[in-house]
Amino acid sequence: MTKHELIAPAGTKDLYLPVMAEITDVRQMTPLEKLFEIRLPGGVDLGHRPGQFVEVSLFGVGEAPISISSSPTKKGAFDLGIRKVGMLTEMIHRMQPGERIGIRGPFGSGFDMTKFKGKDVLVIAGGIGLVPLRSLINYVLDNRADFGRLVICYGSKSDTDLLFEDERRAWEQDPRVEFHLTVDHGSPAWSGRTGVITTLIPGLDLDLPNTLACVCGPPIMYRFVLLALKSKRLPEENIYMSLERRMKCGVGKCGHCQINGSYVCQDGPVYHYPDIKALREAL
Amino acid sequence: MANKPRVGIFDFTGCEGCELNQLNFEDQLLDILEHVEIVEWREAMDGQAEELDIAFVEGSLSTPDCIKRIHEIRRKSKVLVALGACAVQGGMNALKNIRPIEQVREEVYGQDKYLFPTLPALPISSVVKVDVNVRGCPMTQLEFLKVFTSLVMGKSPIEPGNSVCTECKLKDNECVFEKGMICLGPITRAGCDAQCPSFGQYCTGCRGLVPEPNVEAMEEILVAHGLSMDDARKKLQLFNANQLEGVS
Amino acid sequence: MARFYLEKGKVAAFIAHLQSQKTVYAPHRKGRNAFAFAPVERPQDVVLDYPRTVSSIKKYFLPPREELLSFNLAENTCAQPAVAPLDAVFLGVHSYDVHAVLKLDHNFVTGNPERNYLTRRQGALIVGVGFTPDRFHFSGSVGIPAGDTTGCDLFLHPCEGGYALEVLTPAGEKLVAGFKLPAHTSGLPAAAPFQQHIYVPQAKLKDVFAHNYDNAVWEEEAEKCMSCGTCNLVCPTCYCFDVEDAVDITVTRGSRERRWDGCMLRSFTEVAGGEVFREEPAARQRHRVYRKFKYISDETGEPWCVGCGRCTASCTADISIVSIVNRLVNDYDAVKA
Repeated sequence: MTKHELIAPAGTKDLYLPVMAEITDVRQMTPLEKLFEIRLPGGVDLGHRPGQFVEVSLFGVGEAPISISSSPTKKGAFDLGIRKVGMLTEMIHRMQPGERIGIRGPFGSGFDMTKFKGKDVLVIAGGIGLVPLRSLINYVLDNRADFGRLVICYGSKSDTDLLFEDERRAWEQDPRVEFHLTVDHGSPAWSGRTGVITTLIPGLDLDLPNTLACVCGPPIMYRFVLLALKSKRLPEENIYMSLERRMKCGVGKCGHCQINGSYVCQDGPVYHYPDIKALREAL
Repeated sequence: MANKPRVGIFDFTGCEGCELNQLNFEDQLLDILEHVEIVEWREAMDGQAEELDIAFVEGSLSTPDCIKRIHEIRRKSKVLVALGACAVQGGMNALKNIRPIEQVREEVYGQDKYLFPTLPALPISSVVKVDVNVRGCPMTQLEFLKVFTSLVMGKSPIEPGNSVCTECKLKDNECVFEKGMICLGPITRAGCDAQCPSFGQYCTGCRGLVPEPNVEAMEEILVAHGLSMDDARKKLQLFNANQLEGVS
Repeated sequence: MARFYLEKGKVAAFIAHLQSQKTVYAPHRKGRNAFAFAPVERPQDVVLDYPRTVSSIKKYFLPPREELLSFNLAENTCAQPAVAPLDAVFLGVHSYDVHAVLKLDHNFVTGNPERNYLTRRQGALIVGVGFTPDRFHFSGSVGIPAGDTTGCDLFLHPCEGGYALEVLTPAGEKLVAGFKLPAHTSGLPAAAPFQQHIYVPQAKLKDVFAHNYDNAVWEEEAEKCMSCGTCNLVCPTCYCFDVEDAVDITVTRGSRERRWDGCMLRSFTEVAGGEVFREEPAARQRHRVYRKFKYISDETGEPWCVGCGRCTASCTADISIVSIVNRLVNDYDAVKA
């Protein structure tokens, strides 16, 4: 058994101590989802990678992992897209600009954008999966010359819960973006495409060896998207996925987020597919 | 504090032990009243309120009149809290449910039974929507205060889903089975701080069963510790007759 | 280093000698058949010959409940409570529990070092004691004989009429200094044999676990299991925790508390919205055992189970980790044969 030095090394962080940050803007996106803009003290940058997350605290209520929804190219503040789904998020939804919340992080792997340089980027987002992937999309748009095509496939349950309306419309118009949208069930007012997200994949015209796919969505979605990408013959090593688990501490200690032996809060939430292929609990 | 939440306290079929327990909150009662205004409480005051922010309801539903009253309470209350085992699971009262209701009625009321309509003892949640459960027989101050402060903060409290065993282990307790007794801790919901096992008793299951309980395994263990299958079943039924029969 | 003879009649005086230097934690009888570590008040209450304690000394470094933050809700501020080094002697610790602490050290030093754990742990001195394996101990199968002195400052080897007190570190030497003891010159008695064994060498376990993910044993054991979480909570190498906020009755102050949690509990993998990622009890059973023999072991090259037998001894459903592992071994051998 290796013996360890038992003095906390210099530079040891206070793992569980949040920084108080200010909510500077709140936008209602759907009845369930709001986009919060958060500013750290002094307007310092969070210093995150696309695909990372933070732990958001409300004292006396609790803490929850929330994906960062803005690109690191956005300076002075960052965005959190939050669905009202539990006690904490319900309370956050009641908050107004000017109020303060606790932030720890950024945590997790995120996307290593150096690996994406010069590549075509295929974003496959199901429902709220667009929230973390927006950080990647905006990063690509803000460094447009560094990347090839940007293809976005976005699927939602219905047209009434579509996220980021303004930006979505901008992507639709933007010649630098190939944007595909589908909803499982459209309302009577819906004139767009209907069908699950996987139906978008067969029709894509991709430069397969040069395309990196980034997938995020509800747990059920991954298996079907993988099948669709495989039958499209996209190489496995070109696939990245962002997975959701219960990341309670964010620092690889509490154990809740483990997928087999992998701590999602450390090795994920963004995984290179070949790395998790063998993890039976992953997908 | 302006506009304190308006609270009503109601009782149905039960011993009123959970309510009395509230009156015993000598140390905290004034603090509690700092946060809320009690506007309806038969045990302590007269009159009825039109509208409530929070209704605390004790006891199980066991007569047609109970059903009518609980609908009224639900209609006028924003948040409904079930207090104690009777309200949450039907409690001990639900023991009558495992026998023919007419037989029970006759045994209790004899020839006057026609004057006393009766129903199987039901948890509040089987008739109206319950927002929060405060479990236990009686409910504990510990959990009531936790739920109460949550409601004052405007958050919906999270119900513990772990077993009572977890709380024994946090306290380094000797396992009740080690003492040669039996215990329902393994499949009973935590939240009481393992009160009974900590004081030399065994867990009777008053807080209800954990989610997805493995009842068969529990029964086998009770039998392995010397109980007949019939007795094992009875131990489990004491507070959980309804849940074992699929009523919730 | 030196070895002294500590006769039984001098044990209480020796404990008092330790108490004169530092706080001493040692096993005490608790309830009818249980033992627990507690601060020593009267040396004669200490029990050095015991099968196992309910919890290990882990509870002093990673407390069952611990306040991580305190809040002032009115001002929306928080503070970290001060954590002090324990500066204590842990007396009468079995070898497997010392190994368990060394494993926890690894978990709390690597990756993100945790100050709370390390601060409590750093000054702790350990006086180990030999034990007679009962029908649940199997630490010998995971490389920890009953007289193993790894990680100890002093060790008490049971011998005729008392103990051979082995001095292992300078800190241990300092603890003994001033307490007159004769040298122990005869050899050490052989450590008592184990009654329970995992039937393969540690090195082979890696293969065994690589090939038993879908073994029927997970499902079979899950049928008996009530998912009470006891096996996790008594395990000296389990360190998973949950975190919950609470507020006091004035609703102006509160705290964030962490407490031991366990992967056998259904809610362990539950996320907001209700999805439970390890919904099946069989999957949870496998995860627990894989955490002890594969996931961390693949990285460190050692089993993360120390063979204390607590999970098995404490399981009301009689689920035995040794039986599970041996079943995996047998099934692996049958397939490979």
